[in-house]
Amino acid sequence: MTERNDPGASVLAMHGVAFGYPGEGRVLHDVELALARGERVAIVGESGSGKSTLLHLAAGLEPADAGTVELAGQALAGLDEAARTRLRRAQVGIVFQSFHLIPTLTALENVMLPLELATELDAAQRRERAGAQLAAVGLADKGGREPEQLSGGEQQRVAIARALVHRPALILADEPTGNLDSRTGEAVFGLLLEQVRATGCALLLVTHSDDLAGRLDRVLRMQDGHLQDLAAEASAT
Amino acid sequence: MSSLLVKAWLRDWRRRPLQRLLTLVGVVIAVAVVLAVDLANQSAQRAFDRSMDEVAGTATHQILGPAQGFDETHYRDLRLAGWRDTAPIVEGPARLPDGRTIYVLGVDPLAEGPFRGAASDIGDAPVQRLVTEPGTILPPSGWWAGSGMAHEDRLALETAAGRFEVTLLEREAERDEPASNPAEEGGSLWVADIATAQTLLGRPGRLDRIDVRLDDAEIDAFAERLPDGLELVPVAARDQASRELAQAFRINLTAMSLLALLIAAFLIYNTQTFAVLRRREVLASLRLVGADRRALFGVVMLEALLVGVIGTLLGVLVGMGLAQVLVGQVAQTVTDHFFVVAVTEVTPRPLALLAVIALGVGLSLLAALAPAWDAARAASPGSLGRGRLERRARRGLRGLALAAVVLLAAGGVMLLLGTGGLVGSFVALFLLITGFVLVLPLVLAGVLRGLARLGRGQTLPRIGVRSLERSLSRSAPATSALTLALAAAISVSVMVGSFRDSVEQWLGQALTSDLYVVPAAPAAARSGARLPADWRDTLARIADAESVSTGSSQDTPSDAGMIDLYVVEPHPVWLDYLPLLRAEGTGEELDRRLRETDAVLVTEPFAAHHDVGVGDRLDIRVDDGRRMFEVAGVYRDYGSPQGTVLMLGERFYAGTAGADEVGSFGLRLPDGADADAVIERLEAWLAERETAAMVTRPGDIEQESMAIFDRTFAITHLLRVITLLVAFIAILGALMALQMERAREFATLRSLGLLPGGVRGLVVFQGAVLGAFAALAAIPLGLGMGWLLIEVINREAFGWGMDLRWPGREIAETVALGVGAALLAALIPAWRMARMRLVPALREVP
Repeated sequence: MTERNDPGASVLAMHGVAFGYPGEGRVLHDVELALARGERVAIVGESGSGKSTLLHLAAGLEPADAGTVELAGQALAGLDEAARTRLRRAQVGIVFQSFHLIPTLTALENVMLPLELATELDAAQRRERAGAQLAAVGLADKGGREPEQLSGGEQQRVAIARALVHRPALILADEPTGNLDSRTGEAVFGLLLEQVRATGCALLLVTHSDDLAGRLDRVLRMQDGHLQDLAAEASAT
Repeated sequence: MSSLLVKAWLRDWRRRPLQRLLTLVGVVIAVAVVLAVDLANQSAQRAFDRSMDEVAGTATHQILGPAQGFDETHYRDLRLAGWRDTAPIVEGPARLPDGRTIYVLGVDPLAEGPFRGAASDIGDAPVQRLVTEPGTILPPSGWWAGSGMAHEDRLALETAAGRFEVTLLEREAERDEPASNPAEEGGSLWVADIATAQTLLGRPGRLDRIDVRLDDAEIDAFAERLPDGLELVPVAARDQASRELAQAFRINLTAMSLLALLIAAFLIYNTQTFAVLRRREVLASLRLVGADRRALFGVVMLEALLVGVIGTLLGVLVGMGLAQVLVGQVAQTVTDHFFVVAVTEVTPRPLALLAVIALGVGLSLLAALAPAWDAARAASPGSLGRGRLERRARRGLRGLALAAVVLLAAGGVMLLLGTGGLVGSFVALFLLITGFVLVLPLVLAGVLRGLARLGRGQTLPRIGVRSLERSLSRSAPATSALTLALAAAISVSVMVGSFRDSVEQWLGQALTSDLYVVPAAPAAARSGARLPADWRDTLARIADAESVSTGSSQDTPSDAGMIDLYVVEPHPVWLDYLPLLRAEGTGEELDRRLRETDAVLVTEPFAAHHDVGVGDRLDIRVDDGRRMFEVAGVYRDYGSPQGTVLMLGERFYAGTAGADEVGSFGLRLPDGADADAVIERLEAWLAERETAAMVTRPGDIEQESMAIFDRTFAITHLLRVITLLVAFIAILGALMALQMERAREFATLRSLGLLPGGVRGLVVFQGAVLGAFAALAAIPLGLGMGWLLIEVINREAFGWGMDLRWPGREIAETVALGVGAALLAALIPAWRMARMRLVPALREVP
């Protein structure tokens, strides 16, 4: 069974979305998904089931083959590459499994980057807000360090700060603890939830961990390219 | 080696054809340029040597007389006196209808036996016809192909004596058996019977020289028998100077090709290291499935070998084609300045081919050695990667800088001590260039760090420069290649520009007459031509001239070997116009000395080549025999690379009746004279004379001289373009490599909201930074190289001094060219990066 919600209030809405990589067949089939503002949803599933692909489509990094994807009420299909990018940088923050920090920038500069790209703030304002965001993830004293001088957990915290700093409506997190040991992963995940709650944005999280998923508002399962709402299925049975 | 291992490695050629193509192109261009210059040089050299050998044949000595030749009866007297190993020669240049200059050698086939192969076989049918049929000529065998002419066709030749129709004889057409190597036979000389040559060259009854074969015991006895006015000169002394000068010209060209090779080496290194690093995940996987170090090293080197072999073979083909273009230019330069040569084909020497193949393949293998070693030595798959390479590159900066200091010091010491002559100067120059290039990465790293600090708060530019700094192993060689190419361009501009300005200025000073009357012959054929000396008064009267000067160039024996002697009867106050470099006393005193005592002036190249200065003495053969002349001054002159001795007519003809013939007349007209009307009157008078002559203005001579100058340096411009092309490819390859390595970073930026245009801008910005750095670094290097070329190498090679001109416009152009090339090179990776699919890039292993 697919998940449905009121698209009008959704920060993210997908209707009948299908997608496949060239030469690899369909990865996603007829996906329906709606995320309300402030809602926190987890997607679980086997490796290769299409979880990350769903996230990429949600961010507008790949165009859907069929169906519609709406981000903050705007259909991505009607937008060109530049418009999709503008929408993404205003509405979305992304946390990757392998951090994806820019190695040539310091931690503080990494966090400032979305502000420079997406806002009209001047340099001093950008620096101030990025500093505050970095402090919020507990790295106030490490802003001048380059990514390779930080531990994995610290790098992911910088990535979380970077994803949140420009106040997006939606955070897309792809296995954010996948590259961390369990203790660090737990701490980082707690921090992510705390920050999402504090900023009031929606969260779409892809994870292998049922434990982590269980701490969110809803859990969806991706299986062979189909998205299923576990809670709805449970209540149906 | 496992075939699957090889397949796993080499299949990347299908996946990334553009990258592999760039590696190939690097090898192709490097090999092509080096081979082309070598082939062109060698072919022109062979033609030159063959011509010199043919002219001299196996003669040990030559009997020479006055410039206008001597009576042929002297030859008959020698034969009658029992000297059988003697051969009379009349020689000189002529022009073909297509404008090419040829060299006519008039011989007596009956006497040629011991001397020259070309016309020695009197039993040979065509040679026999030379004797029996006046007006026949034997072109070199290589000339026929492409000439459109056939055996017994008629051809018009233009010489100093006028225009003549000759009948062409083809040796092969009349032979029963073909020659073993017809292309080599006859070289580049056009052989005629002596009587035909005397008519063609306007020397009836006269000879230019008599070739003689003597053993040591005979020399003195023979010399004593010679009548007054003739002199016995060893052959070696005659052509040695020309050979040395032509060699200096070739060394200059070879140095340019080696510079191209150096730049190409950077390109090959860059692309080879990238080819390995790009596939580090393949290497990692191969290690994981059990491939040992030796196998990995082998597979990387095997690919380098393939690239080297394929690139070199293609480079040889391209180089042969390029050589055909270059050889014409080299031959023309040798013809303009040294001796008439005709090169009809480019024949690669097996040894040179082998050397170039070894160079191309060797360079490819050498460039791949370090990455192959890395691939094999990596303790774990994860330890192989850019980070390690970059850390090592940064650690190596100080070592490179130290090596640079050693090289710079060694080059400087060599230059100061002046060791090794011309080759030594070039070695010193290359040491200095290499030293400068080795210190560049350290400077680049510092500059990039400085720019990053300056760009604090400007995130994207900061990402751009820091990314370049973190990829120093990639950005430094590319920048060095571009720096070298631009520096070469600047140095050539400095040298050619300074030279051109100096020559133009000198021509303005040297051409002190308003009109010249010269023999009616093409410029290259004019040197041996003469006009009657008794025209002087008539010309002065017709032109209503204030004064008339005369000048005649001739080869004459001296204790410094055969020298180019310029005998002048100058205008009054002529020394005011002569660019004297060194002399004692005032102009008036010098003029008096030159007129009243046995004194001469020498040109700067002459002083350099013969190591003579003011106060030295030269034993020179003049009209009435040999006398000692004191060098009274040295003056600047670009008329002859061999150098010239200037003597006043009254000293040359002292005690004799004076000149019968002169090389040219210079007429100085009164202020306000109507030059066109004077030319008209002179031409009308000249039209009725038996000796063909024409009137020229200084501007015409200047134009003709500058055309020869520009032809001489056309080849350096061509090499400059090729060098820039190599550098362009180097920077394109480096930027592509850099961007592909940073694809994940760009994808991250894009996912964070950077627009495709922003990515394009970032890549182009990086190209601009590298281009600007290379261009700025090239200015001091280029100016330094230019200065060395002028002050050290040109003086060493040719003896020419020149006023250094700082080419502001050319420097600005070169800077623009460098930045433009880098920007242009950045466009392709910028376009690719902006269009890349984000998800696969984001998934890349960091």
